[in-house]
Amino acid sequence: MMKPSRFVDLSLTSPWTVTLMLFWAFPVVYSLLIGFTDYRLLVEGYHWVGWENYRNLFRDPAFLTSLENTLIFVLGTIPITTVVALGMAFLVNRQFRGRAFFRSSFFLPSITSMVVIALIFTNLFSRGGYIAFLAEMAGFSPPAYGFLYDTHTALYAIMAMDVWMSLGYYMLIFLAGLKSIPDELYEAAEIAGASPLRTFWSITLPLMRPVMLFVIVINSIKSFQVFVEIFVMTRGNFNTATGVYFVYEQGLTTGFRMGYASAAAYVLFVIIGVFSAMQFLVLRKRTALW
Amino acid sequence: MVDRRHPLIAAGRYISLTAIAVVMLFPLAWMSRVAFMLPMDGLSVTSLTTAGWTLQNFRDLFTQANLGWALFNSILVGGIVTIGNILFCFMVAYGLARYHTITNKVLFATVLVVLMIPMHIITIPLYLLCLKAGLYDTYWALILPWLVNPIGIFLVKQYIESIPPSMEEAARVDGAGELTILFRVVMPLCKPALAVLAIQVFFTNWNSFLFPFILTSRESLRTLPVALALYQGHQAVDWPHLMAGSTVAVVPILIVFLFMQRQIVSGITAGAVKQ
Repeated sequence: MMKPSRFVDLSLTSPWTVTLMLFWAFPVVYSLLIGFTDYRLLVEGYHWVGWENYRNLFRDPAFLTSLENTLIFVLGTIPITTVVALGMAFLVNRQFRGRAFFRSSFFLPSITSMVVIALIFTNLFSRGGYIAFLAEMAGFSPPAYGFLYDTHTALYAIMAMDVWMSLGYYMLIFLAGLKSIPDELYEAAEIAGASPLRTFWSITLPLMRPVMLFVIVINSIKSFQVFVEIFVMTRGNFNTATGVYFVYEQGLTTGFRMGYASAAAYVLFVIIGVFSAMQFLVLRKRTALW
Repeated sequence: MVDRRHPLIAAGRYISLTAIAVVMLFPLAWMSRVAFMLPMDGLSVTSLTTAGWTLQNFRDLFTQANLGWALFNSILVGGIVTIGNILFCFMVAYGLARYHTITNKVLFATVLVVLMIPMHIITIPLYLLCLKAGLYDTYWALILPWLVNPIGIFLVKQYIESIPPSMEEAARVDGAGELTILFRVVMPLCKPALAVLAIQVFFTNWNSFLFPFILTSRESLRTLPVALALYQGHQAVDWPHLMAGSTVAVVPILIVFLFMQRQIVSGITAGAVKQ
């Protein structure tokens, strides 16, 4: 039999090799390097400044606020999204009439463009908009200029939208996880006379742990990078600028401070890495508890 | 499993399901309603029922606001990137699945690493790279970096590994060339995985904002999401036009969604459960 040559192998994988080198490896290394310079797009020449960008970042109130906002965003949305999405997955897990309709309507928002969703919610959150109307009906007094024009509510309004939008996506992942639990386990539990709560606690939850880990890690990586909704809804005003928004503002608007912005991007990169690693350790080890 | 428990539980289930469905569908319904209102109708909660219906907003967008261009750009770029991914992810996945060399093991590891890398880290350097290489503000910047993607490679590789290599070997014995084997023997077998890949890539591309936004500046290169996000800028509160534009951006997704839900779902859940 003719053995396929090494040339065939290398040319098959070449699209990835080229993309990897040009559009991933090079940018990742390059931004690390310019993070140590004072490089600006519109200024001739640049100097190696060592850790100065990093030192300045941690003295820059705008950067610290953006990190704080990012943390609020991540820690505020993920628990709610995870719990509600899991609940929704339970609701549509069994066979019943209209199940397909409910399941699809739940995940329709998650495949819609973020820009479109953000625009719709800018309208819903505006002064005299639907959400202000509902808040008034419920006896609350909405902010005078709408939820997005108020330092105390803008970030939370965007977070609420983000939860709403991603619920369906994580529900689908949880559903796939629930499907992978063998029916025999539930039958055995029923024969043994276990209560539904006990079954949930002792069978469903432990077996769903890998899926939960996946959902939480993926959702954190995504939430740490929140940008589009901030750009569309507030342009970072009213205390909503997040880490990536800070990177964009520093690097790609008026100042074009490439070095400073790249350093900020790397700080965020490291935080995301540490956060994901921690989640792995915590959720992996809890076997005895669950 | 059919739920045969107490009717009250069943009723409670339907009530909560309906409540959630209303919350999930209302914003999109509101968008399509506002899209057909006249600009002077004024948006208040009551306008949902009192405002009239018109196609004027859509007409304005295509005649005055160049939405036609944005639609064309989105279709063109989305089409090319999708075709590129079908071809390239398939080639790479086949190479990685069938040739077990050390280089390929390393390459597959890089696929998994890139899958985990937060995209924001490449925004500034990619902007600079495109600027220096002359890709900035051209169609190339919207296409070249996105022609092959790690999730796609991963998805198709898993699929190819589940196909026994006997067909390829038989074809090879018969004297078929590698290209024939690749495109006439293996590719047709991978159709289900490639369909999932195509939809996923097209959706991602169609909805993508960040990179098309930072890598172009000319108005004639805007894709739909970029055009919509920046449209807000010059006319402060022109909701009927904005929502009409949003509807144009959502309808193609909705059509694909209605006909290919199974593929969309398996694209979303692929990789999640096998963990």
